[in-house]
Amino acid sequence: MAIATASAASIFRAPTAALPEKVSIRNVDFFYDKFHALKGISLPLHEHRVTAFIGPSGCGKSTLLRILNRMYDLYPRQRATGEVLLDGENILSPSQDVNLLRARVGMVFQKPTPFPMSIYDNVAFGIRLYERLPKAEMDERVATALQKAALWDEVKDKLHQSGLGLSGGQQQRLCIARSVAVRPEVILLDEPCSALDPISTAKIEELIDELKAEYTIAIVTHNMQQAARTSDYTAFMYLGELIEFGETDQVFTNPRHQRTQDYITGRFG
Amino acid sequence: MADTTKPDVLARGHTVRAYDQELAELTTLICRMGGLAEQQVAGAVDSLLRRDVGIAATVIQRDDEVDALEERVDQHVIRLLALRQPMAVDLRIIAMALKISNDLERTSDYAVSIAKRAQRLAEQPELRPIASIPRMASACVAMIKDVLDAYVDRDADKAMAVWNRDHEVDELYDSLFRELITYMLEDPRTISRCIDLLFIAKNLERIGDHATNVAEKIHYMIHGSQINRPRHEVG
Repeated sequence: MAIATASAASIFRAPTAALPEKVSIRNVDFFYDKFHALKGISLPLHEHRVTAFIGPSGCGKSTLLRILNRMYDLYPRQRATGEVLLDGENILSPSQDVNLLRARVGMVFQKPTPFPMSIYDNVAFGIRLYERLPKAEMDERVATALQKAALWDEVKDKLHQSGLGLSGGQQQRLCIARSVAVRPEVILLDEPCSALDPISTAKIEELIDELKAEYTIAIVTHNMQQAARTSDYTAFMYLGELIEFGETDQVFTNPRHQRTQDYITGRFG
Repeated sequence: MADTTKPDVLARGHTVRAYDQELAELTTLICRMGGLAEQQVAGAVDSLLRRDVGIAATVIQRDDEVDALEERVDQHVIRLLALRQPMAVDLRIIAMALKISNDLERTSDYAVSIAKRAQRLAEQPELRPIASIPRMASACVAMIKDVLDAYVDRDADKAMAVWNRDHEVDELYDSLFRELITYMLEDPRTISRCIDLLFIAKNLERIGDHATNVAEKIHYMIHGSQINRPRHEVG
């Protein structure tokens, strides 16, 4: 794979070179039992930047995301090799406390997954797993999380109604609120807008742009324009390999690799 | 780093075939514009050399066709951007079509300007023949033709060859400029006609510049980078 350097004509965003690496993925392989799903993946997630993962279905992008908070641990016969350093510490190490890891690395899925409980409790649920807070403080944390997820104004008067009563877009922002409530450092978004209408999608994209000031974000998306709009870096994956990683404006205007070019221009066979 | 995107990406069709047809239509529009502009330049100079106001009138009339084609390119590009949300090489092809059509439209305007001066000159006594004008004209027409071939073939090397030829036109312009000054000094009665010729030469020089502009855009379209040498600019 090729690491593209910053192009002279960085037209979309300010140059983002030389940022600290919040997460360093190093030579990671992944197996679903005997199926070799990821092959020698190495790339950084830069701090306070959005990295998009694109590629055809089955290329391994969601698998890679699931490694970053050890989601695969929940399933038997799935294993990862290599290193994933979060602030320099290998999270794949057996000594890693996965509950703590998942508080530091939050995840939002393709379909909104509100719990069958009130809006308030949906957000408080995660916090209660890690902390016992007095009510006033909990109220504050819930409100802040909902504000960060740009949902507060729409739900502040019905916090004790069921989260299931919200629209799809609101449910997705509720899930984002739930993941930011535990004050993670990294947020993983796995096709967060694929089930949403264009207005809800725009709200989530706006939100991603705001959230990156505080968090490091990785997003998997099938929507090429969304990847181009929301991310600073883009990784193109194909058949379990990382084909190209570079600054988003370069990848989408002048990709280095033929496969990337074919994929993003709709020439894939 | 090895550049692996260039070979034949353009030869492979899109999954959505209508997109290929729309891109082909854009190329056709540009080629028709370019072909017309090339004919206009040749015709304008022909009308000057033969003192034929009829040819000049045809050149002037055809400007409307070029303008109409430019409008069609604009509409087609807007439609493609809206419908296809192009990326990478497709985005460059579409965006550059917009700029190339502008260069061709300007070329056509210069041809019209030459034709108008040719009409005026035809009503006045003939000056002695000035060899640089037909030489400049044929150099310009060849540049337009070759740059259009480079566009159709998506051939950046061919475009670069045109880009490198611009200095020929510039040198002819400089020598013509000196020649005309001499005539004007020798016989002040020729001043107004010489000034017309000077403007014609200037127009041809600008036409050469537009052909090199198109060459630069073809280079960008194919490689995604600018030609990284300073632009050879005169005047």
